[in-house]
Amino acid sequence: MAHTSTIAAGGAALAFPGHPPDRHFKWWIIAPAIFLLLFIGLFPLIYSLGVSFQHRTMLEDDKSFAGFLNYAQLFRDARLWQSLLHTAVITAIALPIELVLGMLMAQLFLERLPGRQVFVSLLVMPTVISPIVAGATWRLLFDNRYGPINQIIGWFAGKPVAALWTVKPDLVYPAIILCEIWQWTPFMFLILLAALSNVDKSLTEAAEIDGAGYWRIFVKIVLPAIWPVMAIALLIRGLDLVRIFDIIWALTQGGPGTMTETISIYTYVQGFQQFEVSYTAAVAFLVILMLTVIVTWAIRRMGLAK
Amino acid sequence: MTPQRPLLRRPGPVLALRYAAALALTLFFIFPVYWLFIISFKTPAEIFHFPPVWYPESIQFANYRVLFKDGDAETVWNSLVLAGVSTVIAMILGTMAAYSLVRFKTGGENLAVWIISQRMMPPIAIVFPIFLLYVYFGWVDSYHGLIILYTAFSLPYVTWMMRGYIEDIPIELEESALVDGCTRWQVLWRVVFPMARTGLFATAVFTFVFAWNDFLFALVLTRTEVITYTVQVTHYFGGQSNFWAKIAAMSVLGTVPVFFTVATLQRYLVRGISMGAVKG
Amino acid sequence: MKMLRKLTLTAAAVMAVGWTAAAWAQSAAERAVNEAKKYSGTTITIVWEAGLQSLDPLHFSGPKWKELTGIDVKVVEVATAEMFTKIMQDYRSGAAAYDALNVIPAWMPDLANAGALEVLDPYVDKYGYRDELQKIAPTYRDNQMKVGDKIFGFPDDGDVFLMYYRKDVFEDAANKDAFKAKYGYDLAAPKTWKEFDDIGQFLTDKNQPNMYGAGFFRQPPYAMYMFQERFRNEGGKFFDAESMKATINSDVGVKVFTDMRNENKFMPPGVEQWGFVENLAAFLQGQTAMTISWPPYGRWAEGYGTDQEALNWVPKTQIAGKVGYALPPGGHPELAAGFALSVSSTSKNKDAAYLFIQWLNSEDISLQRVQLPYTLRDPFRTSHYTSPEYLSRWPNAKDYLGALKAGSETGLLDLSLLQTDKYEEVLRQSISKLWGGDDPKAILDQAASDWDAITDKIGVDKQKAVYQTWAAKSGAYPQ
Repeated sequence: MAHTSTIAAGGAALAFPGHPPDRHFKWWIIAPAIFLLLFIGLFPLIYSLGVSFQHRTMLEDDKSFAGFLNYAQLFRDARLWQSLLHTAVITAIALPIELVLGMLMAQLFLERLPGRQVFVSLLVMPTVISPIVAGATWRLLFDNRYGPINQIIGWFAGKPVAALWTVKPDLVYPAIILCEIWQWTPFMFLILLAALSNVDKSLTEAAEIDGAGYWRIFVKIVLPAIWPVMAIALLIRGLDLVRIFDIIWALTQGGPGTMTETISIYTYVQGFQQFEVSYTAAVAFLVILMLTVIVTWAIRRMGLAK
Repeated sequence: MTPQRPLLRRPGPVLALRYAAALALTLFFIFPVYWLFIISFKTPAEIFHFPPVWYPESIQFANYRVLFKDGDAETVWNSLVLAGVSTVIAMILGTMAAYSLVRFKTGGENLAVWIISQRMMPPIAIVFPIFLLYVYFGWVDSYHGLIILYTAFSLPYVTWMMRGYIEDIPIELEESALVDGCTRWQVLWRVVFPMARTGLFATAVFTFVFAWNDFLFALVLTRTEVITYTVQVTHYFGGQSNFWAKIAAMSVLGTVPVFFTVATLQRYLVRGISMGAVKG
Repeated sequence: MKMLRKLTLTAAAVMAVGWTAAAWAQSAAERAVNEAKKYSGTTITIVWEAGLQSLDPLHFSGPKWKELTGIDVKVVEVATAEMFTKIMQDYRSGAAAYDALNVIPAWMPDLANAGALEVLDPYVDKYGYRDELQKIAPTYRDNQMKVGDKIFGFPDDGDVFLMYYRKDVFEDAANKDAFKAKYGYDLAAPKTWKEFDDIGQFLTDKNQPNMYGAGFFRQPPYAMYMFQERFRNEGGKFFDAESMKATINSDVGVKVFTDMRNENKFMPPGVEQWGFVENLAAFLQGQTAMTISWPPYGRWAEGYGTDQEALNWVPKTQIAGKVGYALPPGGHPELAAGFALSVSSTSKNKDAAYLFIQWLNSEDISLQRVQLPYTLRDPFRTSHYTSPEYLSRWPNAKDYLGALKAGSETGLLDLSLLQTDKYEEVLRQSISKLWGGDDPKAILDQAASDWDAITDKIGVDKQKAVYQTWAAKSGAYPQ
């Protein structure tokens, strides 16, 4: 890689050797972003922290100090931990599928193909449909009577099939994961396509001339080249999967029972519908804590913050 | 030894296979979109028909006319404005921030992690404090209020994605520009932004999409003046009513502009020039 | 001379009395308009359910009020699921952006106790509304207006579950004979759930897959109301009044759950996923012979109003003229959901807001509103049920209004306690588990245990007091 030479040689701070680092420039260009983030992000954080130590519920806007009451409650709340488990399961299954499928799709469209422009534009469509509408549409698609999916399955099976995708415990997870993959694989696809297009063709061509096989080229040259982008995309997608809400809400509302209740649905019910303001704040901090640990570990492992 | 043409570019059976795969994939991803769109042309009897109706009997645009007449279509415009403006601002500020992080390691690892941590906050927990903040500033139900919010929410995503794409740019290009007498500011705009075109495009698409799809904050922070498409669409799902045709027509109105934008900006997606040419 | 003076005084006295009487004979609507004129030029905001419901204030009552009083009505449309949240958030944040509110009666205890609703008694007296308030149908009037002994809202929507059935199918001679032969009693609208099961199974056996005996909206949010109704009709009680322990897992509860699931078998496959519109489509297109739902089904099945653009999403009815109306099996229908008009306690225009809701809710105006073709507001005043104008709307309207009236007399209230939503959530989840295939007894035992945990957290004594007040109402349990 051409660009690694200088940095590898000189270490972190020696970008642009020969030109003294401009102390002010680097802060000036990042200042507006930091300011905006602080402006929007700081108050909610402090507020939530404060509230989590209070007694606020629907009935009483009780601002008295409650100590660690809400945090202690976290450990006794089985439903909370189940929702975290459900979230982890969905993330663990959907993320790899989206990555692999997105990568395959990106490879497919990397080289010239007649009508590629149309294909790619069409393939991005699922992400643009509002998740709420997407969830409602899939709910209709899955409907046993008025939706085409069971109709199509029936054609293959040769007889009517009454699969209740949003009701039966065996089917709800596949249904949710299918919708999720449908909606967000295009995200991985487009990001990877952009990253793959950036790969220096002269390197891959040189390797091909030397007789290297497709797989070797991919693993040794392409993957390292797109790794920064791919890792970040995985990170972003993973974080978003943790926050999955609309699709599940539209399909099952977290049911049957609380079987498909993820952490977002649980906090929605607690915080939005039932106004357990203080407890929800405590849950939020638990989630932030867990995510921070995971993300920091992930960032180190992926070598993203050298 | 004459070099073989790369596997995927060979004509004949491989191309045909690729095409078949492309069609199959597009079919899978587009089918639900198709189903949604044709609902905007179906009669209620066709929407709730057993067995399901795959193609409406007639294409009539009455549902679209109604949306414009009643002013609902305006909400699509609101969403476009909010998402569009916040995307542009976020792309500029975020790319600048990314450049600072990549080339100058500003703030070290901690600043970078802090930036991405903003995306870890569960929205439900922060929506009410932000509402309080906005009540205080008088920004509830305003365009600028939501634009500022979406910009702030997009920054972590833009910053981190552009980090990756900027790292791919050979630093020699920037160095030679500096040698040529450019200021750092000019290097940023004349070298970095153009070279990062593909990344900018890919990132911008989803920055827009994330802002476009937001429901929770648009719900809480608006009342009557700035209703977004996502909020308006939920008005069509009643306890005792379900305006499917409007839902579908609104979705078409919303996705078509985005489709065309993505289609026309696609040339930025694939960089045609080989890096070897630049090095010379 | 003395005679003349006497006459003049008498005349003056008579005129004075007459004039005062005339002033008080003013209808509540007229009085509201007259009093509101002094607020001309101001704007009041009202929170209303988004979509079809809000067409009333947007196209009819809002513009009319503006015309009469000069007050602008700004309608804040909110999707049903978010109404409670937005009202609470507005209240808690001090934003004070709403003047008048639409409130589902089951929420009233929570909202009133939190302090978000204005007590309306002073205004009712000030503007002379007691009389017309009395004329609201008894079940709504006595059960959906007050928390404790204070008025917090005016019932404004006669939501009630009615049974709708295919009169033509039930009156068909071949059907009648075959049914009588098999079951030994006459084919008629079912009075008990056992009869319902017999009839449903019979009709499905005979007619499927073109028509099934019945269909219901089985999605948990809707089925929850049906469970509350059926459970009480079959003798169940939600709590033990003394200990405040939940008793939904009694034998009655288990029977109801088991029967509900068994009934799905003679309904169209996939009925567990049905919401309001799926069920409506099936019934209106002649695919189910019986169903239970809110009053709009009854109007739309006869084609009333469905030629309006606002209702163009309703599948065209194929059963006009063939619809029969009855009370659901058990005879005590659920007054599911409903709406009341309230004033926000943080409003800056309380009088103007109050006068608007008095006007909306008054005898004259409410009669017009419930007859709007696109309305979702159902008759709720005794005068509505006997209005000649309404009766003339479609041939069968008298049966429809008769059934609604009967429902308003025997109807059952939604359970309404502190933090009702938590209890309802348990019921919704239980129903989704029922469709998922779990054992009814296990589900209900878990539900009862969850209910007890909620009660403990709120405070047993506190909740007990609220429950006993609720249970004492005429509409809490079948009398």
